[in-house]
Amino acid sequence: MTSGEEEFRREAIQHLDALHNLAVYLTRNGSEAQDLVQETYVRAMRFSHRFEPGTHLRAWLFQILRNTFLTFYRLREREPALSEDGVPAGRAPMFHDAPDWDGESTEAHTDLERALARLPEEFKTPLLLAEVEGFPLEDVARIMDCPVGTVKSRIFRAKERMREYLKDYGRETKA
Amino acid sequence: MCPEPNEVYGDDPEVGRWLRERLPRHPAPPQLRAAVVRTLNPEVRRPRWGFAWLGPSVAALATAMVMVMWMATGLPSLRSTDPIQQISRAVVTEHARTLTWAQREPDVVPAALPRVMEESGVILNWVFTGDEEIRLVSAQPTYVEGHRGISLGYMDADGHAVTYVIVPSGGVTLPEEGRVQIERWRPLIRRENGFSLILWKDKGMLCAMIAALVSESDLARLKEYFVKVRSQTELSPVF
Repeated sequence: MTSGEEEFRREAIQHLDALHNLAVYLTRNGSEAQDLVQETYVRAMRFSHRFEPGTHLRAWLFQILRNTFLTFYRLREREPALSEDGVPAGRAPMFHDAPDWDGESTEAHTDLERALARLPEEFKTPLLLAEVEGFPLEDVARIMDCPVGTVKSRIFRAKERMREYLKDYGRETKA
Repeated sequence: MCPEPNEVYGDDPEVGRWLRERLPRHPAPPQLRAAVVRTLNPEVRRPRWGFAWLGPSVAALATAMVMVMWMATGLPSLRSTDPIQQISRAVVTEHARTLTWAQREPDVVPAALPRVMEESGVILNWVFTGDEEIRLVSAQPTYVEGHRGISLGYMDADGHAVTYVIVPSGGVTLPEEGRVQIERWRPLIRRENGFSLILWKDKGMLCAMIAALVSESDLARLKEYFVKVRSQTELSPVF
C-alpha cells in the first residue's frame, strides 16, 4: 500500500459520519442510507489511485454519493409509471418508504425534519451541503454539477419553502 | 468536521441556523463503520450485507419490468410501436440488470471476458477497459428484445454507472432525427425515463450506451465516454 493510498483511506473515513447523515436525509431509510454510503466508498475506491493529498476528497465523496443515489432513484421511479397507479413521478415518496425517524427528536425537530423531507432533492441537497455541512458554494456547485448561481437560487428557494412548510404545521420553529 | 455557517446568502440566515442547531445528525452506526473500513482495505473481501437493498431491489425491479413487458404483449395499448423506443426501454432495463450484476460480481472483468464473449456470441477484438476517467467493472451476456448480446458495465470517477450494450441490429434502422455529430460518428441520442442513451450501429450490431447523465454538461461527458468506447472497442460478430 503506497503512502498516497494510506492517506486516501485515512482521509476518506473521516467523512463517514457526514456522508451517512446526508444519506439518511436523502433516502429517509436507515438501512438504505447505510448501503448507499458503503456503495459510495466502493465506487471511490476504484479511483483512489487518483487521489492527491490536499485535494477536494470530501466534495468528491459527496458527489459520488449523490450520483449513486440519483441513479438508483431514477430506476426505482420507473415503477409507478409501469404500474399505472396514477401517482405522478415527482410526487412519489423517495424510494417509496416513509421517513424512518428515531422518535427521540423533539416536536420542533420533527417539524423541521418533516419540512426538509418535503423538499425536492435538488433543493434539499444544496441546502444541507451548504448550511449543515458547511461546504463553500463552489464545492456545492461541483457536487451538484451546476453553476454557482443555480446553487444560490436553489438554496434561496429551499429556505422559502422551508418557511412555508413550517407555517403549514402551525407552529413555526422559534429561534 | 465542524460546519461553518455560510454567510453568503443574506436572505434567510435563520433557516440555516435552525438546520445547523436543531436538525438531528445521524452519525454512521458501528456496523457501517466496520463495513466501510473493510471496503477501504483491499485485502479484506467486501461483505455481502452491504448489497442488501441495491442488488435485490434493482433485481426485483428488473424482474417486475420483465413481467410487465411480458404481460404487455396482451395489451397493445401499453406497448410502443416505435422500435427505437422499445429498444431504448429494453436498454434501460438492461442498465438496471448490469448494476445488479456489477455489485454481485465486482471482480468479473477482465478475466471473464472470453467466457462472456463466447456465451453472448459477440466477439470483441479490442475492448476499452478504462482510463483515468472511467473503468470497465462488469461484463455479462444479455438478451435485449429477443437478441443475444453482451453488456459491459463501466463506472466513472464521480460514481456514474454507464452501460454499453451490443446486440444484433435485427434490421432496426436508426432514424436521422435525433442524430448528432460526435467527432467522426453520427449516433442517435435519446432520453428515456430520466436516462440518456446513445445508439449507433457497428458491423451489423446495434450498440447503446446508457447512463443517468442528463444535464447538458453530463451529456457532454457521456459523449466523451462514447468516443472512448467507440474508438477503442472493435467488434467482430459471429453468429
